[in-house]
Amino acid sequence: MTLGHAIATTFGGFIFPFLIRMIWGKMVDEWGAIGGWMAAAFIVGTTWAINHGISSSMITQSGGAWIDMAFAAGVGVYVASFLKGGKLGGSFVNIGAALVGGVSGGFILSLFL
Amino acid sequence: MKFLRGMLGYMIAGMIVMSVWDGFAAPYGIAGGYIAAIIIIGPMWFMNHYVGLIDNPDGDAFVDMALGIGITGIARDVFLKGSDAFFSAIPTLGFVILGATIGGYVAVLVEKNMEERALEGKEHFPANEEPAPGYLSEYGGNK
Repeated sequence: MTLGHAIATTFGGFIFPFLIRMIWGKMVDEWGAIGGWMAAAFIVGTTWAINHGISSSMITQSGGAWIDMAFAAGVGVYVASFLKGGKLGGSFVNIGAALVGGVSGGFILSLFL
Repeated sequence: MKFLRGMLGYMIAGMIVMSVWDGFAAPYGIAGGYIAAIIIIGPMWFMNHYVGLIDNPDGDAFVDMALGIGITGIARDVFLKGSDAFFSAIPTLGFVILGATIGGYVAVLVEKNMEERALEGKEHFPANEEPAPGYLSEYGGNK
């Protein structure tokens, strides 16, 4: 991984939670639940295209384990909601659930993939 | 119960993304990615954050289902390829987390500035309701 790849990967991590904070909630406010589908298509789909989809993608995978841009969304949205006054204490159960659920899900996937 | 609900939400979202997404993206490329985003992220978001399977009360820091998806991706490859797969991926993981932290921070700066501008009575209205400040349509653009 070169310095250039590192800068690009960092910006790939920047862009996804930034877009989610800017427009996901607004789309749901404007269009209700359908706004969530619009956001799924046009935030996740479009950002996936630059971060992972194109053949020379913005997030460079340095190793064997897949680092998905979803990690950026999880971290960035968490940081933003904390800075807007969200309490950390109440969120730890969900972080633990994400760890246990994610590892269990990965294990089940490894049984058949 | 909160833990079980969260675990199911993060796990199901992660499992479907980390198996079915490639099924669309491998044969259909970018178009497959959009299809995957609509048919996977759409219903998973609806279940986890609209219906509220994952219990994220208003006052608490928000743990998005994306965190579960990201962890599932790493765990899948560690179980398939061994722990070396994780250690070799740490540089990417670090830069992504760094970028995400800056992204969340900058988004909050922008949001707070928008809120301050709104309090000053200078909020921006979407173009289909009223022209944005400084936008004079008879001159064909921003002035």
